[in-house]
Amino acid sequence: MGVIGKRVAYYPGCSLEGAARAYDVSTKIAAKELGLELDYLEDYNCCGAMESKNVTFMGTMLMNARNMSLARKQGHSVIVAPCNGCSFSLQRAEYFLETDKAIFDKVNALLREGGVDPLDQIPQTYHILEWFYTEAGPQKVKEKTRKPLRGLKVANYYGCLYTRPHFYARTYAHAGGQDEEARPRRRETADDDEHPYYMNALLEAAGATNVEFEPMHTQCCGGPHSLSDEMVSEKFVMMILQTAKRNGADIIATECPLCHASLEMYRHRLMMKGVPDVDVPAAYFTQLLGLAFGYSANDVKLKDNLSDPLPVLKRLGLA
Amino acid sequence: MAIHERSLVEPERIVRKERLVIDGVDVSGDWNLLILPRVINDYDLDFGKEVLNTPEGKTINQCYQCSYCTASCPIHNYWDERYNPRHFIYLARLGMIDELQKRVDVMWRCVSCHKCTHRCPKGVLVEEVIKAILKVMAKRGLAEEYPSKKFDKFFTESVVEYGRIEDGELLFGWIEKQGYKVFKDPILKKPIPFVGDTPEWLKQLTMKPIKSMNIDFLLLNAKHMLFHPKTKNWNKFKQVLRKVMQEEGALH
Ligand code: SF4
Ligand code: SF4
Repeated sequence: MGVIGKRVAYYPGCSLEGAARAYDVSTKIAAKELGLELDYLEDYNCCGAMESKNVTFMGTMLMNARNMSLARKQGHSVIVAPCNGCSFSLQRAEYFLETDKAIFDKVNALLREGGVDPLDQIPQTYHILEWFYTEAGPQKVKEKTRKPLRGLKVANYYGCLYTRPHFYARTYAHAGGQDEEARPRRRETADDDEHPYYMNALLEAAGATNVEFEPMHTQCCGGPHSLSDEMVSEKFVMMILQTAKRNGADIIATECPLCHASLEMYRHRLMMKGVPDVDVPAAYFTQLLGLAFGYSANDVKLKDNLSDPLPVLKRLGLA
Repeated sequence: MAIHERSLVEPERIVRKERLVIDGVDVSGDWNLLILPRVINDYDLDFGKEVLNTPEGKTINQCYQCSYCTASCPIHNYWDERYNPRHFIYLARLGMIDELQKRVDVMWRCVSCHKCTHRCPKGVLVEEVIKAILKVMAKRGLAEEYPSKKFDKFFTESVVEYGRIEDGELLFGWIEKQGYKVFKDPILKKPIPFVGDTPEWLKQLTMKPIKSMNIDFLLLNAKHMLFHPKTKNWNKFKQVLRKVMQEEGALH
């Protein structure tokens, strides 16, 4: 395929500079091995995640437009974000800016007022997984794998916003029953909406075995309510972890720092309460790729993970 | 107006009679159940229009009440049946504000998973519409403070102030808002983890793995908690943000 470009603007997001450092580090490792280049977006700001949009509409448009403008300044028309929340926010802004001229003009005027270059063009945002799959793909992963993840049974957890909603993520809408004309913004590179498989394919190429994980692979983890609505989050995480465990998974592979944090936090709480079958640890898919590419557990910062996947990996002789 | 919604029939209005004679005809037995009529005259059609006029809510009128959104919704399916996005849209369009108000205690529960929006056959941005309904209600003083709103505001405040968020601040700030006494250092007024009051689960969560963690990771996070990461060229932009939010009425 190869339509996104091998050199893109990299929007890590706040989380990856702090608590999710492991994801940042391992993403860079994986990208380097796969021959892809990430251009760090200088002086970016928070995307507003899933929270700010409930407080202010124009505010979130502006926050994301500022980041887009920075990307344009660095000469990019593609932004890649490793976080479901960030890619969602940027894609949401992209949707409203593209489909509503009045919003676009207003945002540009406000950007100028705030001392930021107005947008000459709206850059497109991709989730990093989509980019890895499209630009490198399983073939390349297979070539680069030096230490296959043999015997590791993985449950691939995609979370909500990687493929949803099709308006923003530009996936195909299976269930919506819409015809081609109704979806002019659909993107060829996008993953399957209800049955995403990009992470499965990449990790399988790295030697791992995927376990059956539907429909929990896209079940919400509590997301923006992880802290404010604890009972709901706890139940959702319980459903996810138990499905993984009962389907025989050794580890859950994640691709979003928010999902990851939520899974790890509530896993611990559930274990303290004595809930059965919830003790599957979680690791970022890039960490697993890094291990397969021959990097050590310390290189991909496996010790940063609160759920501690090291014992499982050690048992299988992978770390 | 015909009643389409079972949930709009309160139990008090369902009457069961032992013997029932209507116009001299004995209709006891299968026909002895009555629903007392209710006249609705306090609906407010402007409410739906107000939602329609927000950028997020402009797709509300495309809805044809198929309920695909509700059938997909994890909050409806796994938590509380009263959470029903299709129904909220119905009520908002009819302007039945009192009925909406009765459901405020579940309306905020939406976790923004976007299953509804993704699957809607009519292209309604369901999640955005529900949030727009909540916003309009809040604007009219019909929705109290609810947990997620508190958190959303707290989060947004942090973004607007610094340009970036910081996980430790979010976590401990939120714990403080929940009523725990968080200990702060006297100079920078930043929370010091685990000295004051901390929920038991959080203590255990961090204390166990902390021993096996890389020291540089802990130092990095400690540094971030003390010196909040900031976006550099932010001040001028911050003012514009605040102005925009003021116009939207989002600051209170
Ligand atoms: S899926 Fe769409 S059309 Fe159907 S009830 Fe929900 S919002 Fe209305
Ligand atoms: S976004 Fe909200 S309303 Fe929609 S399916 Fe998810 S929880 Fe339900």
